[in-house]
Amino acid sequence: MFIKFVVILVLLLGSCRADAEAEDTSVLPEGFVDASQRSTHTNNWAVLVDASRFWFNYRHVANVLSIYRSVKRLGIPDSQIILMIADDMACNARNPRPGQVYNNANQHINVYGDDVEVDYRGYEVTVENFVRLLTGRTQNGTARSKKLLSDAGSNVLIYLTGHGGDGFLKFQDSEEITSQELADGIQQMWEKKRYNELFFMVDTCQAASLYEKFTSPNVLAVASSLVGEDSLSHHVDPSIGVYMIDRYTYYALEFLEKVQPFSKRTIGEFLQVCPKRVCISTVGVRKDLYRRDPHKVPITDFFGAIRPTRVSTDRINVTLANEDDFIQVDKDELVARKPFKIVMESQFPSDLFK
Amino acid sequence: MGLLSDPSISTQSKLVDGLARHVRKVCYTLYVAGVVWFFCLAMPEFNHGTYLSENALSPGLVYPEIRVDANRLAIQLLEELQRERKDHLSTTPHAWIAAKMNEFGLETHTHNYTLRYPFGGGKEYHGKNIYGILRAPRIASTEGIVFAAPYRAASSVHADISASVPLLLAFADFARRKNYWAKDLIFLVTEQEQLGMQAWLEAYHDGDRDVDVSKAYLRPGNLPARAGSLQAALNIEVQDLEIDHVDVRIEGLNGKLPNLDMFNLVQRIMAREGIASGYKQAPRKKRRHSQSAFEQNLRQMLTMLASQSSGVPNGNHGLFHRYRIDSLTIAANRRATHATLKGNPGSAAVPLLKAVEGIARSLNNLLERFHQSFFFYVLVNNDRYISIGDYMPALVALVACAFVKAYLTWSTLPVTNAELEAAAGLVRDPEQEQAPELDQDGELEVDSDLDKFELPYGSVLIYLTATLLIGFLCNVLPLQQYFLEIPMGAAPLTTSVLSFLSLIGFILPFVVVLPPGGLELLHVAFLLIYGCALIVIGLLNFALGFFSAVLTVPLVISLETKEENTRSTLRNSIRLATLIMNPMMVIYVIVLAMTFYQFPELPLQKIMLRAATAAMDASAYGLIDSVIYGNWLYFVICTIFLPLWIICWTLALSKRRDYTDYLDFDESPSTSPQPKMKTN
Repeated sequence: MFIKFVVILVLLLGSCRADAEAEDTSVLPEGFVDASQRSTHTNNWAVLVDASRFWFNYRHVANVLSIYRSVKRLGIPDSQIILMIADDMACNARNPRPGQVYNNANQHINVYGDDVEVDYRGYEVTVENFVRLLTGRTQNGTARSKKLLSDAGSNVLIYLTGHGGDGFLKFQDSEEITSQELADGIQQMWEKKRYNELFFMVDTCQAASLYEKFTSPNVLAVASSLVGEDSLSHHVDPSIGVYMIDRYTYYALEFLEKVQPFSKRTIGEFLQVCPKRVCISTVGVRKDLYRRDPHKVPITDFFGAIRPTRVSTDRINVTLANEDDFIQVDKDELVARKPFKIVMESQFPSDLFK
Repeated sequence: MGLLSDPSISTQSKLVDGLARHVRKVCYTLYVAGVVWFFCLAMPEFNHGTYLSENALSPGLVYPEIRVDANRLAIQLLEELQRERKDHLSTTPHAWIAAKMNEFGLETHTHNYTLRYPFGGGKEYHGKNIYGILRAPRIASTEGIVFAAPYRAASSVHADISASVPLLLAFADFARRKNYWAKDLIFLVTEQEQLGMQAWLEAYHDGDRDVDVSKAYLRPGNLPARAGSLQAALNIEVQDLEIDHVDVRIEGLNGKLPNLDMFNLVQRIMAREGIASGYKQAPRKKRRHSQSAFEQNLRQMLTMLASQSSGVPNGNHGLFHRYRIDSLTIAANRRATHATLKGNPGSAAVPLLKAVEGIARSLNNLLERFHQSFFFYVLVNNDRYISIGDYMPALVALVACAFVKAYLTWSTLPVTNAELEAAAGLVRDPEQEQAPELDQDGELEVDSDLDKFELPYGSVLIYLTATLLIGFLCNVLPLQQYFLEIPMGAAPLTTSVLSFLSLIGFILPFVVVLPPGGLELLHVAFLLIYGCALIVIGLLNFALGFFSAVLTVPLVISLETKEENTRSTLRNSIRLATLIMNPMMVIYVIVLAMTFYQFPELPLQKIMLRAATAAMDASAYGLIDSVIYGNWLYFVICTIFLPLWIICWTLALSKRRDYTDYLDFDESPSTSPQPKMKTN
């Protein structure tokens, strides 16, 4: 009873004065605080959007592909990544390296590798499709890979890049999504229980204007520049003749590249990856809608995925029916070890209908 | 009479009356304001620094990949071409060029065209262009860029630019090995200066249309292959592989210019390669401190406008503008001093090749035609420009003189017979002369019952039509089959037709005398037509409009149809000035000045004679240019300036019908007709 009262009190105080929360929680039992800060999500989704086309916007495609590479490396499967790319840089006739996109002049990594699944491409990348995707109002007959099938337990990462202005982001060369439309879309997502927590990341000029209108809970937003500021590109590859990547994404990636699936790095650290000295623009952060302390949230809550994964140095048979044919040498060893069990939570309660 | 056109309403305004009395002062103030504004534009506060507005170009982001082996190839090709030139003194070594293009793997074609020269009984000339298309490897052939090099035969009177073709071919060989072309590249070698280029362009754009060619003077034929819509063109004129500086030529047909972005692009890339380049770039000299920045800027502006005003392109690039293809010429001039010791001849042309590569890659990045930056501008300096919004006020102020004067003249048009007399300068005794002014100030009722006077609209309209008809004949007559069959050169034929028609215009006011009030009405009509014509010309070709305005506006302001006894010397000087302003005379004076400037050592008589033949040639060239290339300078002079001059001359003469005609019905006994009327 007393605990219940305290919880209500804390919630009330927390909603009134966010800064007072730290002091109030200090009197709470540590285990309880940890529990409230722990993530409650059950799956992860990512929506990665490059909204601009044309060859000289190569860097935006490189941006989005780099983030795609990172989230995929950290464990979100392709089926749960919606990748929208407005132009095809890899096959642009001007590209001296056909079929390849790089995010660095040193050309270490071809971010347009052979395992990239682009869900919305070219002229499919429109404001309408983007809003339909977020709100789950896709048209009949839309492929499963083009749907955001998130639920109340999903942590969703939304990454946008392109050319922005005060209160809008330009899609293709013809239309814009306004910050109000974006906020409405996210509110609908909340009402339809399409996310548990949402991490909103934008790399455009005047990016902070895009999250200004948000009112939905559990949204953490970060933007590459404040209103009135330009986000700048990082460097040029003189052998291709275009800017390779934007500053904010470059430094974000520098951070993400060091993150491993079981890393203890937090979102709080990630929000500080690009200080003004290197970014030139000021990175904007919006935390008031977010109930947890970013410094206690692991970055893998958004960039990684909850999946039954285990790092093993042994050979493990997951799919083959007849194990014996393949694993004979280590049989004795396997028996000696304690057997483990993989529990796959089915995403849909399909067994109920069988 | 309509409400707006009722002079009795407008004359009631005191402001208008006050202004009308000072119409000349107002107009001269406007004129001076316009000219001063133009001079101000040369000051850095009034012009802007150039910048690249088209993102897609991204100039200089890419490292040039062309290397010294391309230069070696160019040198080797130049040596081969020099050997070929010994066998082709007055023709183009087509076979050699085509063979080289084929060798480099281009899709090579030849283009034949025919010129039917109409004058002197008619002759036919044949020409041949060679072009090779490098197809974009990974995209459909919907867009193209042209790299052109004119070929001049060894016997040509112009400067030798035979190094252009080797340079073009060396670049083609380099480009052939690259996979990043998003547009087809056309490598074009034309002959016979601009004629070849014009024929090729016409063939490219209209060659497949069924046009009746029996009347055309230039028969362009058709092209065997095309490369989609042309986005941009670069014309290369290289005197030698060892270059001193690059002159960027931009003036095109009828004073059109390429987009400012294209000029800026070339300047950027040239600067990156360390080539001295610029608009009207002169060889590097010792620094002269005598000229201030303002003086240099003004000189640059005036030279640019001067070369624009004739409407004749100063390179093959100018003909592209007609098809909305932005293009310019990079004219690389030979190094004057033998500085071979300093530079390595084996890599002399590498910077230029790199520049061409850089320009090509930027143009390759274009997503649509140039559309961002300015198409109408004046270059003050290589990195400063004046936009159309800044220079137009100068012309508008000049033209405003005509409209202001037209309005004020209209508002003071004679309404009654008494005013008509006063306007005609019919001097009564002083009391009576001042009477109407008093009336206007105070009591209008006194005049109201006087007989209203109807302006002679009909006869003025007929007069205007007659002058325009003369202008029309100037355009049509020299090309009539009947005249063309006269065994006479183009120059004497054109000149004699023009002189004859000018003479008719000269005599016209002596023969046809307008009815009373007609001159005043003609004056208003003249001012309106003059103002409209100038502003339209100025919009299409600012240089031509502005120069003609500067030249003629003072005369137009001082023109007055009212007879004033005291100003007879002024009147006569205006008549003299009008005579000099005859288009034929103006052309002669300009040519005379140019001859004098070019050959200062000749005696005056010889200069005048030479200028006369040159002026005759100029008018013939004007006609030919208008027929073949579509230059409208000849048309403007004949159809607009000549009729305007005839009206102007009529007004300057101010010949009136004898006053006794209308004195009879006026019945005012105290008047005494002035004999001044008849002295002309």
